Amino acid sequence: MKKVWENISKNRYYKMVFKNPFTYITGAVLLSITQIALFAYSGNPWGVSGTLANWGAWIYELFGGSVEKWYYFSSSGAQATLNAGILNHSGTMLNVGIVGGALLATLLASQFKWKKIKSVKQIVAAVLGGLLMGYGARLAGGCNIGALFSGIASLSLSGWVFAVFLLAGAWIGSKLLAKFFM
Amino acid sequence: MAEYELDCMGEACPLPLMKAEKKIKDLASGDVLIVHIDHSCAMKNVPEWARSQGHNVEVDEVDDGEWDVIIEKA
Repeated sequence: MKKVWENISKNRYYKMVFKNPFTYITGAVLLSITQIALFAYSGNPWGVSGTLANWGAWIYELFGGSVEKWYYFSSSGAQATLNAGILNHSGTMLNVGIVGGALLATLLASQFKWKKIKSVKQIVAAVLGGLLMGYGARLAGGCNIGALFSGIASLSLSGWVFAVFLLAGAWIGSKLLAKFFM
Repeated sequence: MAEYELDCMGEACPLPLMKAEKKIKDLASGDVLIVHIDHSCAMKNVPEWARSQGHNVEVDEVDDGEWDVIIEKA
């Protein structure tokens, strides 16, 4: 049995598809095709962070809270999505698919590893960064997927405006990274 | 021909690349820098950067999800 696995791990097609990272071009083409397929199937462009806001609302409701009066969830569309529940939410399926797909990919490449947290600094940076990104994405009406990727793919100028400010943010972020982690 | 090591285990991108860029300045031509990484995107961007600088690069998969990027300074 061990021999079979060894042979598979040396197979040229296994290496090409599962082991070696795709080139940027391959990745870009695959992303383009799948986002067109998603748009054709669901009628909505791909987004990620809007779903996270819905998850927050569902968790809040689980503890007896109500978001009906919150401006962000006040539209009838947003209310209908929340009332339909998490199991009927296509964005949730997409996000779970991203996590599940990433896990599957790393397992297929034999690269799965539990990683150590090196310092408290890493936790603080991850939490602060996550909060800033999540809050910023809601203010901007999308993240680097919904606002940038899907925006530009829809030939919308807003995607390019988002790109300019994303680059500015990334520049500031890299300066902070160098200051606190180097 | 000295050998240097850089431990970047548990560090996410782009830190391994930034640290390697800084460390390589201390090396003389012909010295070797071994960067230990466990973040798969560093396995791509560290060798790419080093090759673009003209250094000799080898990537060694030491364990599941762990690599040594061996850079010989040009």
